[in-house]
Amino acid sequence: MRIEDVVDCHVLVIGSGGAGIRAAIEAEKYGDTVLISKSIAGKGGCTPMAEGGYNAVLHAADSCTLHEEDTIRGGSYLNDPELVKILVQEAPKRFQDLLDWGSVFDVTEDNEPAQRSFGGQRFPRTCYAGDRSGHEIMMTLLEHLRCSDVGLFQEFTVIELLKDGEAVVGAVALDPCGKLCIFEADSTILATGGGARMYDISTNSATGTGDGFALGYQAGAELIDMEMVQFHPTGAVYPYDARGRLVTEAVRSEGGILLNNNDERFMIRYDPERMELSTRDIVARAIATEIDEGRGTKRKGVYLDVTHLPAKTIEERLPTMLEQFLKFGVDIRREPMEVAPTAHHIMGGLRITPHCQTTLQGLYACGEVTGGIHGANRLGGNALADTQVFGKRAGEAAGKSANRSICIDSNQVNIIDKRLDEFQRGKILPSVIMKKLQCAMWDGAGIFRTAVTLKQVKVTIDDLVSAPLYAASPTNFAECFSTHNMCIAASLVVRSALMRPESRGAHVRRDVVQTWETNNSPYGHTYISTKHEGIERRTVIK
Amino acid sequence: MKVTARIFRFDPACDEVARFDTFSIDLVEGARVLHFLHAAHERDPTLSYRYCCGTGQCGSCAVRVNGIPTLACMEEARDDITIEPLNLPIKKDLTIDMEPVLAKLAGIVPQEVIKIPSRDEIEIIKPLRECIECFACVSVCPAMEVADFAGPTVMRQDMRLTLDPRDGKNRITEAIEEGLFTCTTCQYCWKVCPKNIEIPAKAIEKLRALANRQGLTLPRHREVEQLVKETGRSITKNKPTFLEQIPEIVEPYGEVRKTVGFFTGCMYDFRLPETALDAIDVLKRNGIRVIIPHEQVCCGSPLIRTGQLGFLDTVKQRNISAFTCRGIDTVMTMCAGCGSTLKNDYATPFKVVDITEVLTELGIESPARLSIRASYHDPCHALRGQGISDQPRALLRQVVDIIEMPQKCCGAGGGTRSGRPDVANALGVKRAEEIKKVGVDIVVSCCPFCEFHIGALADRPIKNITSVLLDGYKKKDQEMG
Repeated sequence: MRIEDVVDCHVLVIGSGGAGIRAAIEAEKYGDTVLISKSIAGKGGCTPMAEGGYNAVLHAADSCTLHEEDTIRGGSYLNDPELVKILVQEAPKRFQDLLDWGSVFDVTEDNEPAQRSFGGQRFPRTCYAGDRSGHEIMMTLLEHLRCSDVGLFQEFTVIELLKDGEAVVGAVALDPCGKLCIFEADSTILATGGGARMYDISTNSATGTGDGFALGYQAGAELIDMEMVQFHPTGAVYPYDARGRLVTEAVRSEGGILLNNNDERFMIRYDPERMELSTRDIVARAIATEIDEGRGTKRKGVYLDVTHLPAKTIEERLPTMLEQFLKFGVDIRREPMEVAPTAHHIMGGLRITPHCQTTLQGLYACGEVTGGIHGANRLGGNALADTQVFGKRAGEAAGKSANRSICIDSNQVNIIDKRLDEFQRGKILPSVIMKKLQCAMWDGAGIFRTAVTLKQVKVTIDDLVSAPLYAASPTNFAECFSTHNMCIAASLVVRSALMRPESRGAHVRRDVVQTWETNNSPYGHTYISTKHEGIERRTVIK
Repeated sequence: MKVTARIFRFDPACDEVARFDTFSIDLVEGARVLHFLHAAHERDPTLSYRYCCGTGQCGSCAVRVNGIPTLACMEEARDDITIEPLNLPIKKDLTIDMEPVLAKLAGIVPQEVIKIPSRDEIEIIKPLRECIECFACVSVCPAMEVADFAGPTVMRQDMRLTLDPRDGKNRITEAIEEGLFTCTTCQYCWKVCPKNIEIPAKAIEKLRALANRQGLTLPRHREVEQLVKETGRSITKNKPTFLEQIPEIVEPYGEVRKTVGFFTGCMYDFRLPETALDAIDVLKRNGIRVIIPHEQVCCGSPLIRTGQLGFLDTVKQRNISAFTCRGIDTVMTMCAGCGSTLKNDYATPFKVVDITEVLTELGIESPARLSIRASYHDPCHALRGQGISDQPRALLRQVVDIIEMPQKCCGAGGGTRSGRPDVANALGVKRAEEIKKVGVDIVVSCCPFCEFHIGALADRPIKNITSVLLDGYKKKDQEMG
């Protein structure tokens, strides 16, 4: 065995995005806490890339009930109501934590947090720091983390959760050189983020490979609604290699309009009331339809135009967009952007209780790796709030959990060790498998799906999941595991998508004719684990 | 689109020396350096590089492309480039060790009673908040090479916390311990910052000004301020000055092609008057009428760079009125430091131009060629402070052959020479070594601080560009008898 080190702690947090660091800060109040990050802490995950903002009810004219209703309506009534209630009630408190810890959000002339309107909201409740809101949150959390005693393991990759019987008791990780390390913990928190990189076109960073879904699933945890993948309506289409790059919803929030190649403001045909600020699922489908029906640009996009806005507004409110597009030769003050849908967020994930307990003893989860909060479609601005609300809850619950005596199964470690040997004798580069998976997912499990396309993808994935991945050196082991995890997570998406015989939120089955509206669907969550899978039925209240 | 690039390879665990591997790869139009690296990684999976967001927001992928730090995900992949790691300790190939610098960045220590910053405070903090911790700034900082300096972004973070009413710690003493006074304000950190954060002006000089308010200005810097207050000059007089040797109006030899006011600065007036007289000769030969107000004083740069702002407005007013009362619309500088200060730290009612800009714009009489090999030293305050690098070269090429050498701060600026002579000396010695390596007969520059500082340390003479032009004219006169 090539075990380099054994680290013992009370709480082990896996992931260094907004949810992971928030969880670690909270857990540390209760005992030794260790945080493992696949990237340099704070650089991976989606939080630092999140541009738009953070939803919180801060005004007397707004209300938690309104936020709750918006969230559930936006989520096509698939959300877990209890989790939504927690999200909306605690989002303002966690926002205040950030302010207390040094966040520099934009304020109004009266020094109140500035808020703007995002899609599907009936009140402008999205707090922001220009269009780098996630970066602002990340910097705040990092400043706080630096003054804590949380043990940091950066560029370590968790490859399997450690089990003692049915309980999770830590994790096995690879250090930056590819050597195995054991982390033993009384409680383990998965905060690994999403996995939208399983699609050919995606907004996610390099770490969005769905590791947490795979780690949880393989350890025996149950996941729900994995078919619910949000396609953000506006991803950049140029340059080709950087396609999918997020063009923030804040662009439309500030007044940006969508036009097809006939110069028509086409949202009028899809949602005349809310227009560009409809929910993401509806806008994404509208854009995809325009492009499919030949009304898109040469580069297969539509126009997103802010040239009618004052240059100063663009410079102050959308500085990141301005800077990025200028780098790629487009001055958005003078010319429209070209955009098309891009895989962005996975609403499904590990099933959790209000205390972020998964279905496995000793395992907690928070952030994008969990399911249930956002239902079938997430509202813009709710993800950053989710990371803080449930990050804190997970850290607290894990911190308060009892100490346990841990017995490591040496057989589990031996099997991992053998897998490393297999990778060194493997034949196919992880990047080759990854590309095949991404194309298959985009073509067959994308915005529009049918049972036929989904089954085709499933066949492809079954083939890819067993491919002999090749690691040229021990430093390449992590890529092999990430690629394998991506295949597992993709199979969960596809299998769940086949189990849901209806169109709902982000999940559109073109082969299903349905007679119900989403608010009286006979179906609840899809669920999937190594032991069972299916779809919950529910009584329809008329 | 075929792109060929050389990629730096080095594994400290097994390699004795670094090597470059060349990759030729077909890329789609618009591809970035990062996409080139992805493709190279597919050919050689042992290539190590770091990346994450791919959209310029996380700061993971900074590398040097043709020597200049940049984010791989934002920089277009052009043909025939060299990709190297940042100039920081290497873990493997293009992956550098970020953790030592990260460990130096301060966290926040909240006050007992939290006070949320106001809108105005937020507007000042925001630009310092955009840092993505890519460490391009740290990798180019000259002071860090020779001094115990924590680095530009560490200073940025100290200033960000200082501005925040929620932070309860005195960051000024911390910043001084971290080397606040070793920065030469060379501006390199700002120019390579992907987020364009003006660290010298918005953090370093501001921290020094706050140190001044706490009585923590270096004693030698205080002496300089005293001198400016008493004499109008930042240095002591030890020989006849330039202003003592020159009338207020100098007419050119032939017809008047242009009239400029001349802002001499302390160094050319008090230390290098011969050089300023050479410049006058060159201007006369080229039809430039020069007006030299004798009541002009120090530009204030030694005060601004060291955070002593109390007397600054007085010197600014005196200088501005010295030129405006004579109806001058163009003021010429020949000191890179004065030029940068007048252009960037003043709001002048007149145009400010460097002497090399005046001469190149107007065009000069051809000098005779001198049979010497010269190298040009870019002063930081000309190159980055004013964007001047082509003009001096264009002039110089008319009189000598130029052998290029890498641009490097000589260490004289930012009050370092007076306040931290050890740091200034160490940087000057490094510069002198570089000069020796390039093996030219003379080094030419256009900044009295660089000329004076390097002149004392290098084994080759260092001359002002106008003196070299004048040598060319003298030779021409001789040849023509």
